[in-house]
Amino acid sequence: MDRALVEWLQSTSLSAAVTGNAWVWPLLETLHFAGLSLLIGTIGLFDLRLLGLAKGLPPKLMARLIPWGLAGFAMNVVTGVLFFVGEPGNYVNNVAFYCKMAFVALAGLNVLVFYLAMVKSVEALGPGDDAPLGAKLVAATSLILWIGVMAAGRLLTFYHDHGIGQIIE
Amino acid sequence: MEHLVWLEATGLSTCLRESLSLLAFPFVLVLHTVGMAFLAGTNAAIDLRVLGVASAMPLRPMERFFPLMWIAFGVSAVSGVLLLVAYPAKGLTNPLFYGKLLLVGAAIVVMRALRKRVFGDPALESGFVSRQSKALAGVSLLLWGGVITSGRLLAYTYTYLRAAEALAGN
Repeated sequence: MDRALVEWLQSTSLSAAVTGNAWVWPLLETLHFAGLSLLIGTIGLFDLRLLGLAKGLPPKLMARLIPWGLAGFAMNVVTGVLFFVGEPGNYVNNVAFYCKMAFVALAGLNVLVFYLAMVKSVEALGPGDDAPLGAKLVAATSLILWIGVMAAGRLLTFYHDHGIGQIIE
Repeated sequence: MEHLVWLEATGLSTCLRESLSLLAFPFVLVLHTVGMAFLAGTNAAIDLRVLGVASAMPLRPMERFFPLMWIAFGVSAVSGVLLLVAYPAKGLTNPLFYGKLLLVGAAIVVMRALRKRVFGDPALESGFVSRQSKALAGVSLLLWGGVITSGRLLAYTYTYLRAAEALAGN
């Protein structure tokens, strides 16, 4: 399965566009890092507010920064897909990549939990108000998961040919 | 250059560079990335607000994020020094490395100027943000973008990985 997928992806013109010019990859990486900085600077800061930092900020108004974080995330999804299509061999047999995707998925689930269960109580918080315990747990989980995504992402380069199968062996 | 050969032979440099442990070079890289994200990201959020994004959000409480940024800067600086200790010749023979340090310096200067100009302004409570403040915020965003770009390009633009190569002068 791996080889067929890798070979098919490498045969696409998109893949050729990503790997064709030596500056494309560094540019995509730069955008990927900028995107993650935007995500941490908005969503991460929001999490820190829920955990008690800069309590003078009312969370409902602070949430207006979050679309920028989502834009950063969207940029990372796009650049991420381009990385994958460009050099699939770096990722299909890479345990760090699967860990990273697992963390992203869990972070997404965490966001869902927030919106289903906590958004109302958090929106009601005014300046100086302490967030409810549940919201603090979601916020802490969010921070840990996004730091996990960054860590796994940084470790990708060390695990290019360390697939899950090899780890189990 | 001989000093760099000596530096690369030290226990710290060798361990960082050659240890197979995730706690060595990979961990330092992760710290540098996380530090960058919190430093540049938080600064970007403040810059965006100063420029008028999410203007309903009060600016004054954001001053509480400066200690966070300084801690993140500390983490980035220490991890950055360790990265350089592991591969000193790689960084010090690359002009772009010095460019990155200049950009970081400029970004920090602008960050402090922004704090003084925006948060030191008594008119802040009325929601007033001066044009100079907005200009500083814009420059800050550009500088951090430059730091991130030059940082990434370091991995692609180096001439020598080790000091011995530089001495041999290929």
